[in-house]
Amino acid sequence: MVLSTPVLGIIILIYLMVIFYLGWLGYKKTKQTEDYMVAGRQIHPYILALSYGATFISTSAIIGFGGAAGALGMGLLWLAFMNIFVGIFIAFVFFGSKTRRMGLNLNAVTFPELIGRRFQSRFIQGFSGALIGIFMPLYAGIVLIGGARFLESTLSINYDVAVLILTVIVAAYVITGGLIAVMYTDALQGTLMFIGMAFLLVFTYAKLGGVTAAHSALTAMNNLVPESLAAGGHLGWTSMPAFGSPIWWTLVSTLVLGVGIGVVAQPQLAVRFMTVKNDTALNRAVLVGGPFILMMTGVAFTVGALSNAYFYQTLGKISVVVAGGNTDLIMPEFINSAMPSTFVVLFMLTLLAAAMSTLSSQFHTMGTSIGHDFYREYLKKGELGQTINITKAAIAFTILASVVLAYILPISIIARATAIFFGLCAAAFLPMYTGALFWKRMTKEGAIASLLVGTFSSLFWLAFVHKSEAVPLGISKAIFGVDTILTGTWTVVDPILVATPLAFVVAIVVSLMTKPTPQEHLDTCFKK
Amino acid sequence: MLGIDDPQIWLAYILCFVSAIGCMIYGALKWNDDSDDGEVD
Repeated sequence: MVLSTPVLGIIILIYLMVIFYLGWLGYKKTKQTEDYMVAGRQIHPYILALSYGATFISTSAIIGFGGAAGALGMGLLWLAFMNIFVGIFIAFVFFGSKTRRMGLNLNAVTFPELIGRRFQSRFIQGFSGALIGIFMPLYAGIVLIGGARFLESTLSINYDVAVLILTVIVAAYVITGGLIAVMYTDALQGTLMFIGMAFLLVFTYAKLGGVTAAHSALTAMNNLVPESLAAGGHLGWTSMPAFGSPIWWTLVSTLVLGVGIGVVAQPQLAVRFMTVKNDTALNRAVLVGGPFILMMTGVAFTVGALSNAYFYQTLGKISVVVAGGNTDLIMPEFINSAMPSTFVVLFMLTLLAAAMSTLSSQFHTMGTSIGHDFYREYLKKGELGQTINITKAAIAFTILASVVLAYILPISIIARATAIFFGLCAAAFLPMYTGALFWKRMTKEGAIASLLVGTFSSLFWLAFVHKSEAVPLGISKAIFGVDTILTGTWTVVDPILVATPLAFVVAIVVSLMTKPTPQEHLDTCFKK
Repeated sequence: MLGIDDPQIWLAYILCFVSAIGCMIYGALKWNDDSDDGEVD
Protein backbone atom coordinates (compact mmCIF):
# COMPACT_ATOMS: atom_id res chain seq x y z
CA MET A 1 0.00 0.00 0.00
CA VAL A 2 1.41 3.33 -1.12
CA LEU A 3 -0.55 5.39 1.33
CA SER A 4 0.39 6.04 4.92
CA THR A 5 -1.87 4.35 7.42
CA PRO A 6 -2.39 7.44 9.66
CA VAL A 7 -3.79 9.53 6.76
CA LEU A 8 -6.17 6.80 5.76
CA GLY A 9 -7.06 6.23 9.41
CA ILE A 10 -8.02 9.89 9.85
CA ILE A 11 -10.13 9.91 6.68
CA ILE A 12 -11.95 6.76 7.78
CA LEU A 13 -12.49 8.29 11.20
CA ILE A 14 -14.10 11.42 9.69
CA TYR A 15 -16.24 9.20 7.49
CA LEU A 16 -17.37 7.15 10.49
CA MET A 17 -18.25 10.28 12.44
CA VAL A 18 -20.55 11.44 9.65
CA ILE A 19 -22.06 7.94 9.52
CA PHE A 20 -22.74 8.08 13.25
CA TYR A 21 -24.33 11.49 12.90
CA LEU A 22 -26.68 10.15 10.21
CA GLY A 23 -27.42 7.12 12.37
CA TRP A 24 -28.29 9.43 15.23
CA LEU A 25 -30.61 11.42 12.93
CA GLY A 26 -32.37 8.15 12.11
CA TYR A 27 -32.71 7.36 15.79
CA LYS A 28 -34.20 10.81 16.49
CA LYS A 29 -36.71 10.50 13.67
CA THR A 30 -37.85 7.01 14.63
CA LYS A 31 -40.99 7.32 16.74
CA GLN A 32 -43.18 4.38 15.75
CA THR A 33 -43.06 0.96 14.11
CA GLU A 34 -43.61 2.32 10.60
CA ASP A 35 -40.59 4.61 10.99
CA TYR A 36 -38.36 1.76 12.07
CA MET A 37 -39.57 -0.70 9.42
CA VAL A 38 -40.31 1.43 6.33
CA ALA A 39 -38.80 4.81 7.22
CA GLY A 40 -42.23 6.32 7.88
CA ARG A 41 -43.06 6.08 4.13
CA GLN A 42 -41.67 9.60 3.69
CA ILE A 43 -38.23 9.11 2.12
CA HIS A 44 -36.88 11.61 -0.45
CA PRO A 45 -36.50 10.21 -4.02
CA TYR A 46 -32.76 10.97 -4.13
CA ILE A 47 -32.21 9.05 -0.92
CA LEU A 48 -34.36 6.19 -2.19
CA ALA A 49 -32.42 5.93 -5.45
CA LEU A 50 -28.99 6.01 -3.82
CA SER A 51 -30.03 3.73 -0.99
CA TYR A 52 -31.47 1.21 -3.43
CA GLY A 53 -28.36 1.40 -5.61
CA ALA A 54 -25.86 1.28 -2.75
CA THR A 55 -27.63 -1.70 -1.18
CA PHE A 56 -27.82 -3.45 -4.54
CA ILE A 57 -24.09 -2.95 -5.19
CA SER A 58 -21.87 -4.55 -2.58
CA THR A 59 -18.11 -4.85 -2.47
CA SER A 60 -18.48 -8.20 -4.17
CA ALA A 61 -20.23 -6.57 -7.15
CA ILE A 62 -17.24 -4.27 -7.64
CA ILE A 63 -14.35 -6.51 -6.61
CA GLY A 64 -15.76 -9.99 -7.23
CA PHE A 65 -17.71 -9.33 -10.42
CA GLY A 66 -15.15 -6.79 -11.65
CA GLY A 67 -12.56 -9.52 -11.22
CA ALA A 68 -14.83 -11.96 -13.07
CA ALA A 69 -14.86 -9.47 -15.95
CA GLY A 70 -11.06 -9.43 -15.74
CA ALA A 71 -11.11 -13.17 -16.36
CA LEU A 72 -14.16 -13.57 -18.61
CA GLY A 73 -14.16 -10.25 -20.43
CA MET A 74 -16.71 -7.63 -21.39
CA GLY A 75 -19.55 -10.11 -21.86
CA LEU A 76 -20.44 -9.17 -18.30
CA LEU A 77 -21.70 -5.86 -19.68
CA TRP A 78 -24.91 -7.75 -20.42
CA LEU A 79 -25.30 -8.00 -16.66
CA ALA A 80 -24.68 -4.26 -16.32
CA PHE A 81 -27.43 -3.70 -18.87
CA MET A 82 -29.77 -6.02 -16.96
CA ASN A 83 -28.91 -4.22 -13.72
CA ILE A 84 -30.01 -0.91 -15.20
CA PHE A 85 -32.95 -2.04 -17.32
CA VAL A 86 -34.43 -4.74 -15.07
CA GLY A 87 -32.92 -3.76 -11.71
CA ILE A 88 -33.87 -0.11 -11.96
CA PHE A 89 -36.33 0.62 -14.74
CA ILE A 90 -38.60 -2.44 -14.62
CA ALA A 91 -38.24 -2.69 -10.85
CA PHE A 92 -39.17 0.92 -10.07
CA VAL A 93 -41.71 1.63 -12.79
CA PHE A 94 -43.64 -1.63 -12.78
CA PHE A 95 -42.97 -3.37 -9.49
CA GLY A 96 -42.26 -0.27 -7.45
CA SER A 97 -45.50 1.65 -7.80
CA LYS A 98 -47.68 -1.45 -7.31
CA THR A 99 -45.63 -2.53 -4.30
CA ARG A 100 -45.90 0.89 -2.73
CA ARG A 101 -49.68 1.09 -3.13
CA MET A 102 -50.38 -2.44 -2.02
CA GLY A 103 -48.05 -2.05 0.95
CA LEU A 104 -49.99 1.02 1.99
CA ASN A 105 -53.40 -0.58 1.39
CA LEU A 106 -52.51 -3.65 3.42
CA ASN A 107 -50.48 -1.76 6.00
CA ALA A 108 -47.50 -4.03 5.34
CA VAL A 109 -44.09 -3.06 6.71
CA THR A 110 -41.91 -5.85 5.29
CA PHE A 111 -41.66 -7.73 2.00
CA PRO A 112 -42.91 -11.07 3.43
CA GLU A 113 -45.77 -9.22 5.12
CA LEU A 114 -46.84 -7.65 1.83
CA ILE A 115 -47.03 -11.04 0.12
CA GLY A 116 -48.52 -12.75 3.18
CA ARG A 117 -51.34 -10.21 3.48
CA ARG A 118 -52.02 -10.16 -0.25
CA PHE A 119 -52.62 -13.92 -0.11
CA GLN A 120 -54.10 -13.88 3.40
CA SER A 121 -51.55 -16.38 4.62
CA ARG A 122 -49.46 -16.20 7.76
CA PHE A 123 -47.63 -19.28 6.50
CA ILE A 124 -46.31 -17.36 3.48
CA GLN A 125 -45.13 -14.55 5.71
CA GLY A 126 -43.54 -16.89 8.25
CA PHE A 127 -41.91 -19.20 5.71
CA SER A 128 -40.55 -16.28 3.66
CA GLY A 129 -39.28 -14.64 6.83
CA ALA A 130 -37.54 -17.83 7.93
CA LEU A 131 -36.05 -18.37 4.47
CA ILE A 132 -34.58 -14.86 4.49
CA GLY A 133 -33.42 -15.28 8.09
CA ILE A 134 -31.63 -18.52 7.26
CA PHE A 135 -30.07 -17.72 3.91
CA MET A 136 -29.40 -14.01 4.05
CA PRO A 137 -26.68 -14.42 6.71
CA LEU A 138 -24.78 -16.36 4.03
CA TYR A 139 -24.89 -13.32 1.76
CA ALA A 140 -24.21 -10.94 4.66
CA GLY A 141 -21.31 -13.12 5.79
CA ILE A 142 -19.68 -12.67 2.37
CA VAL A 143 -20.12 -8.91 2.42
CA LEU A 144 -18.71 -8.84 5.93
CA ILE A 145 -15.66 -10.82 4.81
CA GLY A 146 -15.12 -8.36 1.95
CA GLY A 147 -15.36 -5.31 4.23
CA ALA A 148 -13.17 -6.83 6.94
CA ARG A 149 -10.48 -7.90 4.46
CA PHE A 150 -10.41 -4.30 3.28
CA LEU A 151 -9.91 -2.97 6.83
CA GLU A 152 -7.32 -5.64 7.50
CA SER A 153 -5.14 -4.75 4.51
CA THR A 154 -5.52 -0.97 4.53
CA LEU A 155 -5.28 -0.30 8.26
CA SER A 156 -2.93 -3.23 8.92
CA ILE A 157 -5.15 -4.58 11.68
CA ASN A 158 -5.99 -8.14 12.61
CA TYR A 159 -8.80 -9.74 10.56
CA ASP A 160 -10.78 -10.77 13.66
CA VAL A 161 -10.60 -7.23 15.01
CA ALA A 162 -11.70 -5.91 11.62
CA VAL A 163 -14.79 -8.17 11.57
CA LEU A 164 -15.65 -7.05 15.08
CA ILE A 165 -15.21 -3.31 14.38
CA LEU A 166 -17.25 -3.41 11.19
CA THR A 167 -20.04 -5.43 12.76
CA VAL A 168 -20.31 -3.25 15.85
CA ILE A 169 -20.38 0.00 13.87
CA VAL A 170 -23.01 -1.12 11.39
CA ALA A 171 -25.07 -2.93 14.03
CA ALA A 172 -25.08 0.19 16.22
CA TYR A 173 -26.81 2.40 13.70
CA VAL A 174 -29.07 -0.27 12.25
CA ILE A 175 -30.38 -1.40 15.65
CA THR A 176 -30.92 2.09 17.03
CA GLY A 177 -31.95 4.03 13.94
CA GLY A 178 -33.87 1.42 11.90
CA LEU A 179 -34.50 1.90 8.19
CA ILE A 180 -34.25 5.70 8.34
CA ALA A 181 -30.65 5.45 9.61
CA VAL A 182 -29.94 2.71 7.06
CA MET A 183 -31.20 4.79 4.14
CA TYR A 184 -29.55 8.06 5.21
CA THR A 185 -26.17 6.38 5.59
CA ASP A 186 -26.75 4.50 2.32
CA ALA A 187 -27.24 7.80 0.51
CA LEU A 188 -23.91 9.15 1.77
CA GLN A 189 -22.19 5.87 0.96
CA GLY A 190 -23.83 5.80 -2.49
CA THR A 191 -22.51 9.29 -3.22
CA LEU A 192 -18.98 8.25 -2.25
CA MET A 193 -19.30 5.15 -4.43
CA PHE A 194 -20.44 7.23 -7.41
CA ILE A 195 -17.49 9.61 -7.13
CA GLY A 196 -14.98 6.78 -6.63
CA MET A 197 -16.19 4.78 -9.62
CA ALA A 198 -16.36 7.87 -11.87
CA PHE A 199 -12.69 8.59 -11.15
CA LEU A 200 -11.81 4.96 -11.75
CA LEU A 201 -13.41 5.02 -15.19
CA VAL A 202 -11.75 8.26 -16.27
CA PHE A 203 -8.30 7.23 -14.98
CA THR A 204 -8.50 3.83 -16.65
CA TYR A 205 -9.43 5.14 -20.09
CA ALA A 206 -6.88 7.97 -19.78
CA LYS A 207 -4.16 5.50 -18.85
CA LEU A 208 -4.91 3.38 -21.92
CA GLY A 209 -5.07 6.29 -24.37
CA GLY A 210 -8.84 6.79 -24.72
CA VAL A 211 -11.98 4.72 -25.15
CA THR A 212 -11.42 3.23 -28.60
CA ALA A 213 -7.67 2.81 -28.10
CA ALA A 214 -8.27 0.94 -24.82
CA HIS A 215 -10.81 -1.40 -26.36
CA SER A 216 -8.63 -1.99 -29.44
CA ALA A 217 -5.68 -2.89 -27.22
CA LEU A 218 -7.86 -5.43 -25.45
CA THR A 219 -9.23 -6.82 -28.72
CA ALA A 220 -5.67 -7.27 -29.97
CA MET A 221 -5.02 -9.62 -27.04
CA ASN A 222 -7.45 -12.33 -28.21
CA ASN A 223 -4.59 -14.75 -28.86
CA LEU A 224 -3.41 -14.44 -25.24
CA VAL A 225 -6.37 -16.23 -23.66
CA PRO A 226 -4.87 -19.03 -21.53
CA GLU A 227 -5.47 -22.52 -22.80
CA SER A 228 -7.60 -23.58 -19.84
CA LEU A 229 -10.07 -20.73 -20.47
CA ALA A 230 -9.97 -21.12 -24.25
CA ALA A 231 -10.93 -24.77 -23.81
CA GLY A 232 -14.00 -23.62 -21.87
CA GLY A 233 -15.15 -21.38 -24.72
CA HIS A 234 -13.31 -18.10 -23.97
CA LEU A 235 -12.78 -16.23 -27.27
CA GLY A 236 -11.16 -13.04 -25.96
CA TRP A 237 -12.00 -10.20 -23.59
CA THR A 238 -14.02 -8.22 -26.10
CA SER A 239 -15.95 -11.24 -27.40
CA MET A 240 -18.79 -13.32 -26.03
CA PRO A 241 -17.72 -16.89 -25.12
CA ALA A 242 -18.54 -19.58 -27.69
CA PHE A 243 -22.31 -20.23 -27.69
CA GLY A 244 -23.23 -23.20 -25.49
CA SER A 245 -19.74 -23.62 -24.00
CA PRO A 246 -19.33 -24.03 -20.21
CA ILE A 247 -18.11 -20.41 -19.85
CA TRP A 248 -21.04 -19.19 -21.93
CA TRP A 249 -23.48 -21.00 -19.63
CA THR A 250 -21.84 -19.60 -16.50
CA LEU A 251 -21.85 -16.11 -17.93
CA VAL A 252 -25.37 -16.17 -19.30
CA SER A 253 -27.24 -18.36 -16.82
CA THR A 254 -25.57 -17.58 -13.48
CA LEU A 255 -24.29 -14.07 -13.93
CA VAL A 256 -26.47 -12.31 -16.49
CA LEU A 257 -29.82 -14.00 -15.83
CA GLY A 258 -29.33 -15.19 -12.25
CA VAL A 259 -28.15 -11.94 -10.81
CA GLY A 260 -29.85 -9.77 -13.45
CA ILE A 261 -33.38 -11.06 -12.83
CA GLY A 262 -32.92 -12.18 -9.23
CA VAL A 263 -32.59 -8.59 -8.12
CA VAL A 264 -36.30 -7.88 -8.63
CA ALA A 265 -37.25 -10.33 -5.91
CA GLN A 266 -34.69 -9.18 -3.33
CA PRO A 267 -36.56 -8.50 -0.08
CA GLN A 268 -34.12 -5.82 1.11
CA LEU A 269 -34.63 -3.92 -2.14
CA ALA A 270 -38.38 -4.45 -2.59
CA VAL A 271 -39.11 -3.09 0.90
CA ARG A 272 -37.66 0.24 -0.24
CA PHE A 273 -40.55 0.84 -2.61
CA MET A 274 -42.73 1.17 0.46
CA THR A 275 -40.59 3.96 1.90
CA VAL A 276 -41.78 6.77 -0.37
CA LYS A 277 -45.04 8.64 -0.24
CA ASN A 278 -46.09 8.66 -3.90
CA ASP A 279 -45.35 7.37 -7.41
CA THR A 280 -43.75 10.67 -8.36
CA ALA A 281 -40.97 9.92 -5.89
CA LEU A 282 -40.43 6.51 -7.55
CA ASN A 283 -40.29 8.10 -11.02
CA ARG A 284 -37.83 10.71 -9.86
CA ALA A 285 -35.69 8.00 -8.28
CA VAL A 286 -35.38 6.31 -11.72
CA LEU A 287 -33.56 9.41 -12.97
CA VAL A 288 -30.85 8.98 -10.34
CA GLY A 289 -30.88 5.16 -10.17
CA GLY A 290 -30.14 4.44 -13.87
CA PRO A 291 -26.92 6.45 -14.14
CA PHE A 292 -25.90 5.33 -10.64
CA ILE A 293 -25.96 1.65 -11.58
CA LEU A 294 -24.23 2.39 -14.91
CA MET A 295 -21.45 3.99 -12.87
CA MET A 296 -21.24 0.94 -10.58
CA THR A 297 -21.46 -2.29 -12.53
CA GLY A 298 -20.88 -0.74 -15.97
CA VAL A 299 -17.61 0.76 -14.76
CA ALA A 300 -16.53 -2.24 -12.67
CA PHE A 301 -16.99 -4.68 -15.56
CA THR A 302 -15.36 -2.43 -18.15
CA VAL A 303 -12.39 -1.63 -15.93
CA GLY A 304 -12.07 -5.27 -14.85
CA ALA A 305 -11.79 -6.37 -18.48
CA LEU A 306 -9.49 -3.48 -19.44
CA SER A 307 -7.08 -4.30 -16.62
CA ASN A 308 -5.78 -7.02 -18.96
CA ALA A 309 -4.65 -4.39 -21.46
CA TYR A 310 -2.95 -2.37 -18.71
CA PHE A 311 -1.11 -5.32 -17.21
CA TYR A 312 -0.10 -6.60 -20.61
CA GLN A 313 1.37 -3.21 -21.56
CA THR A 314 3.22 -2.76 -18.28
CA LEU A 315 4.11 -6.27 -17.15
CA GLY A 316 3.52 -8.38 -20.23
CA LYS A 317 1.00 -10.53 -18.33
CA ILE A 318 -2.76 -10.89 -18.28
CA SER A 319 -4.77 -9.96 -15.15
CA VAL A 320 -5.49 -13.48 -13.91
CA VAL A 321 -1.78 -14.25 -13.95
CA VAL A 322 -0.91 -10.99 -12.15
CA ALA A 323 -3.52 -11.84 -9.50
CA GLY A 324 -1.99 -15.28 -9.02
CA GLY A 325 -5.12 -17.03 -10.28
CA ASN A 326 -7.45 -15.42 -7.71
CA THR A 327 -9.90 -13.22 -9.65
CA ASP A 328 -10.88 -11.41 -6.43
CA LEU A 329 -7.44 -9.82 -6.46
CA ILE A 330 -7.60 -8.43 -10.01
CA MET A 331 -9.34 -5.15 -9.10
CA PRO A 332 -7.21 -4.42 -5.99
CA GLU A 333 -4.02 -5.22 -7.94
CA PHE A 334 -5.07 -2.96 -10.78
CA ILE A 335 -6.06 -0.06 -8.53
CA ASN A 336 -2.89 -0.28 -6.48
CA SER A 337 -0.58 -0.36 -9.45
CA ALA A 338 -2.36 1.84 -12.00
CA MET A 339 -4.00 4.58 -9.96
CA PRO A 340 -2.46 7.62 -8.25
CA SER A 341 -2.09 7.15 -4.48
CA THR A 342 -4.65 9.85 -3.58
CA PHE A 343 -7.17 7.96 -5.63
CA VAL A 344 -6.36 4.76 -3.80
CA VAL A 345 -7.61 6.44 -0.61
CA LEU A 346 -10.83 7.52 -2.24
CA PHE A 347 -11.33 4.09 -3.69
CA MET A 348 -10.73 2.38 -0.37
CA LEU A 349 -13.47 4.54 1.06
CA THR A 350 -15.68 3.60 -1.91
CA LEU A 351 -15.22 -0.06 -1.08
CA LEU A 352 -15.85 0.41 2.62
CA ALA A 353 -19.01 2.37 1.78
CA ALA A 354 -20.15 -0.37 -0.62
CA ALA A 355 -19.71 -3.02 2.06
CA MET A 356 -21.40 -1.02 4.81
CA SER A 357 -24.40 0.05 2.75
CA THR A 358 -25.18 -3.50 1.73
CA LEU A 359 -24.53 -4.90 5.21
CA SER A 360 -26.78 -2.40 6.96
CA SER A 361 -29.74 -3.31 4.77
CA GLN A 362 -29.06 -7.00 5.15
CA PHE A 363 -28.97 -6.67 8.93
CA HIS A 364 -32.22 -4.72 8.90
CA THR A 365 -33.98 -7.17 6.57
CA MET A 366 -32.76 -10.29 8.39
CA GLY A 367 -33.88 -8.82 11.69
CA THR A 368 -37.34 -7.82 10.51
CA SER A 369 -37.77 -11.20 8.76
CA ILE A 370 -36.99 -13.22 11.87
CA GLY A 371 -38.36 -10.85 14.50
CA HIS A 372 -41.44 -9.48 12.81
CA ASP A 373 -42.41 -11.93 10.04
CA PHE A 374 -41.43 -15.25 11.51
CA TYR A 375 -41.59 -14.82 15.28
CA ARG A 376 -44.26 -12.19 15.86
CA GLU A 377 -46.62 -12.70 12.92
CA TYR A 378 -46.25 -16.43 12.33
CA LEU A 379 -45.39 -18.05 15.66
CA LYS A 380 -47.17 -15.54 17.90
CA LYS A 381 -50.02 -14.84 15.42
CA GLY A 382 -49.30 -11.14 15.63
CA GLU A 383 -50.32 -10.83 19.25
CA LEU A 384 -47.20 -9.20 20.70
CA GLY A 385 -47.17 -5.43 20.56
CA GLN A 386 -43.41 -5.03 20.85
CA THR A 387 -42.47 -5.23 17.17
CA ILE A 388 -39.48 -2.90 17.37
CA ASN A 389 -37.88 -4.53 20.41
CA ILE A 390 -38.31 -8.05 19.04
CA THR A 391 -36.89 -6.90 15.72
CA LYS A 392 -33.90 -5.33 17.45
CA ALA A 393 -33.20 -8.58 19.29
CA ALA A 394 -33.56 -10.50 16.04
CA ILE A 395 -31.17 -8.14 14.26
CA ALA A 396 -28.58 -8.78 16.95
CA PHE A 397 -29.15 -12.55 16.64
CA THR A 398 -28.86 -12.67 12.83
CA ILE A 399 -25.79 -10.42 12.91
CA LEU A 400 -24.17 -12.97 15.17
CA ALA A 401 -25.02 -15.70 12.67
CA SER A 402 -23.40 -13.66 9.87
CA VAL A 403 -20.27 -13.13 11.93
CA VAL A 404 -19.99 -16.85 12.63
CA LEU A 405 -20.40 -17.53 8.90
CA ALA A 406 -17.75 -14.93 8.11
CA TYR A 407 -15.34 -17.12 10.08
CA ILE A 408 -16.32 -20.57 8.88
CA LEU A 409 -17.23 -20.14 5.20
CA PRO A 410 -14.70 -21.73 2.85
CA ILE A 411 -12.96 -19.36 0.45
CA SER A 412 -14.27 -21.36 -2.53
CA ILE A 413 -17.91 -20.51 -1.80
CA ILE A 414 -17.38 -16.73 -1.47
CA ALA A 415 -17.72 -15.80 -5.09
CA ARG A 416 -20.82 -17.98 -5.37
CA ALA A 417 -22.76 -16.72 -2.37
CA THR A 418 -24.23 -13.61 -3.98
CA ALA A 419 -25.42 -15.63 -6.96
CA ILE A 420 -26.80 -18.37 -4.68
CA PHE A 421 -28.86 -15.91 -2.66
CA PHE A 422 -30.09 -13.99 -5.70
CA GLY A 423 -31.06 -17.24 -7.43
CA LEU A 424 -32.88 -18.58 -4.39
CA CYS A 425 -34.84 -15.33 -4.02
CA ALA A 426 -35.78 -15.39 -7.69
CA ALA A 427 -37.10 -18.94 -7.53
CA ALA A 428 -38.86 -18.65 -4.17
CA PHE A 429 -40.26 -15.12 -4.37
CA LEU A 430 -40.43 -13.90 -7.96
CA PRO A 431 -43.45 -15.95 -9.13
CA MET A 432 -45.59 -15.12 -6.09
CA TYR A 433 -44.40 -11.50 -5.93
CA THR A 434 -45.22 -11.03 -9.63
CA GLY A 435 -48.56 -12.77 -9.20
CA ALA A 436 -49.36 -10.75 -6.07
CA LEU A 437 -48.98 -7.51 -7.99
CA PHE A 438 -50.13 -8.33 -11.51
CA TRP A 439 -52.43 -11.36 -11.49
CA LYS A 440 -55.60 -11.13 -9.45
CA ARG A 441 -56.51 -14.73 -10.20
CA MET A 442 -53.46 -16.02 -8.31
CA THR A 443 -54.62 -17.79 -5.17
CA LYS A 444 -53.16 -18.43 -1.76
CA GLU A 445 -52.64 -22.09 -2.64
CA GLY A 446 -50.91 -21.17 -5.89
CA ALA A 447 -48.61 -18.80 -4.03
CA ILE A 448 -47.73 -21.35 -1.34
CA ALA A 449 -47.09 -24.05 -3.94
CA SER A 450 -44.77 -21.78 -5.96
CA LEU A 451 -42.94 -20.67 -2.81
CA LEU A 452 -42.26 -24.26 -1.74
CA VAL A 453 -41.46 -25.60 -5.21
CA GLY A 454 -39.22 -22.61 -5.99
CA THR A 455 -37.34 -22.90 -2.72
CA PHE A 456 -36.79 -26.63 -2.66
CA SER A 457 -36.11 -27.15 -6.37
CA SER A 458 -33.56 -24.35 -6.22
CA LEU A 459 -31.85 -25.87 -3.18
CA PHE A 460 -32.00 -29.35 -4.70
CA TRP A 461 -30.37 -28.16 -7.92
CA LEU A 462 -27.67 -26.37 -5.91
CA ALA A 463 -26.83 -29.38 -3.80
CA PHE A 464 -27.09 -32.15 -6.38
CA VAL A 465 -26.69 -30.81 -9.92
CA HIS A 466 -24.98 -27.42 -10.28
CA LYS A 467 -21.30 -28.26 -10.12
CA SER A 468 -20.03 -24.94 -8.73
CA GLU A 469 -21.99 -25.44 -5.50
CA ALA A 470 -22.60 -29.19 -5.43
CA VAL A 471 -18.88 -30.04 -5.43
CA PRO A 472 -17.78 -27.73 -2.58
CA LEU A 473 -20.91 -28.58 -0.55
CA GLY A 474 -20.27 -32.30 -0.94
CA ILE A 475 -23.85 -33.37 -0.06
CA SER A 476 -24.36 -35.25 -3.30
CA LYS A 477 -21.04 -37.01 -2.83
CA ALA A 478 -21.97 -38.03 0.72
CA ILE A 479 -25.39 -39.41 -0.24
CA PHE A 480 -25.00 -40.76 -3.77
CA GLY A 481 -21.23 -41.11 -4.03
CA VAL A 482 -21.08 -38.83 -7.11
CA ASP A 483 -20.23 -35.13 -7.34
CA THR A 484 -23.42 -34.36 -9.29
CA ILE A 485 -26.34 -36.64 -10.09
CA LEU A 486 -26.67 -35.31 -13.65
CA THR A 487 -23.78 -34.84 -16.07
CA GLY A 488 -22.81 -32.74 -19.09
CA THR A 489 -24.28 -29.29 -19.74
CA TRP A 490 -26.81 -29.65 -16.91
CA THR A 491 -24.04 -29.20 -14.36
CA VAL A 492 -23.34 -25.67 -15.59
CA VAL A 493 -26.99 -24.55 -15.90
CA ASP A 494 -27.80 -22.25 -12.99
CA PRO A 495 -30.62 -23.25 -10.56
CA ILE A 496 -32.48 -20.05 -11.46
CA LEU A 497 -33.07 -21.30 -15.03
CA VAL A 498 -34.67 -24.50 -13.74
CA ALA A 499 -36.34 -23.55 -10.46
CA THR A 500 -37.86 -20.20 -11.42
CA PRO A 501 -39.76 -21.36 -14.52
CA LEU A 502 -40.88 -24.46 -12.58
CA ALA A 503 -42.21 -22.27 -9.75
CA PHE A 504 -44.01 -20.04 -12.27
CA VAL A 505 -45.71 -23.04 -13.88
CA VAL A 506 -46.73 -24.43 -10.49
CA ALA A 507 -48.09 -21.02 -9.46
CA ILE A 508 -50.27 -20.80 -12.56
CA VAL A 509 -51.52 -24.40 -12.54
CA VAL A 510 -52.35 -24.52 -8.83
CA SER A 511 -54.00 -21.08 -8.92
CA LEU A 512 -56.27 -22.08 -11.78
CA MET A 513 -57.25 -25.27 -9.95
CA THR A 514 -58.17 -23.53 -6.70
CA LYS A 515 -60.89 -21.14 -5.59
CA PRO A 516 -60.31 -17.49 -6.56
CA THR A 517 -59.51 -14.93 -3.86
CA PRO A 518 -62.70 -13.14 -2.62
CA GLN A 519 -63.36 -9.97 -4.62
CA GLU A 520 -63.69 -7.95 -1.44
CA HIS A 521 -60.10 -8.70 -0.43
CA LEU A 522 -58.81 -8.00 -3.93
CA ASP A 523 -60.55 -4.62 -3.82
CA THR A 524 -58.67 -3.79 -0.62
CA CYS A 525 -55.34 -4.93 -2.10
CA PHE A 526 -55.68 -3.09 -5.40
CA LYS A 527 -57.41 0.04 -4.09
CA LYS A 528 -56.06 3.17 -5.81
CA MET B 1 -17.11 -0.25 -33.39
CA LEU B 2 -15.35 1.43 -30.42
CA GLY B 3 -12.44 -0.94 -30.85
CA ILE B 4 -14.70 -3.94 -30.13
CA ASP B 5 -15.18 -6.45 -32.95
CA ASP B 6 -17.90 -8.67 -31.53
CA PRO B 7 -21.33 -7.05 -32.13
CA GLN B 8 -22.70 -8.91 -29.06
CA ILE B 9 -20.30 -6.95 -26.88
CA TRP B 10 -20.62 -3.47 -28.36
CA LEU B 11 -24.38 -3.90 -28.36
CA ALA B 12 -24.23 -4.54 -24.60
CA TYR B 13 -21.87 -1.57 -24.17
CA ILE B 14 -24.21 0.75 -26.08
CA LEU B 15 -27.33 -0.65 -24.35
CA CYS B 16 -25.85 0.18 -20.95
CA PHE B 17 -25.68 3.84 -21.91
CA VAL B 18 -29.00 3.83 -23.74
CA SER B 19 -30.80 2.31 -20.75
CA ALA B 20 -29.17 4.71 -18.27
CA ILE B 21 -30.03 7.71 -20.44
CA GLY B 22 -33.51 6.25 -20.88
CA CYS B 23 -33.91 6.18 -17.11
CA MET B 24 -32.88 9.82 -16.93
CA ILE B 25 -35.31 10.87 -19.67
CA TYR B 26 -38.13 8.89 -18.05
CA GLY B 27 -37.46 10.46 -14.66
CA ALA B 28 -37.23 13.96 -16.12
CA LEU B 29 -40.47 13.60 -18.12
CA LYS B 30 -42.32 12.26 -15.10
CA TRP B 31 -40.68 14.74 -12.71
CA ASN B 32 -43.85 16.66 -11.98
CA ASP B 33 -46.35 14.04 -13.02
CA ASP B 34 -48.56 14.01 -9.96
CA SER B 35 -51.52 12.36 -11.67
CA ASP B 36 -51.14 9.39 -9.34
CA ASP B 37 -53.14 8.97 -6.20
CA GLY B 38 -52.88 6.76 -3.17
CA GLU B 39 -50.48 9.15 -1.52
CA VAL B 40 -49.40 8.80 2.09
CA ASP B 41 -50.70 11.65 4.23
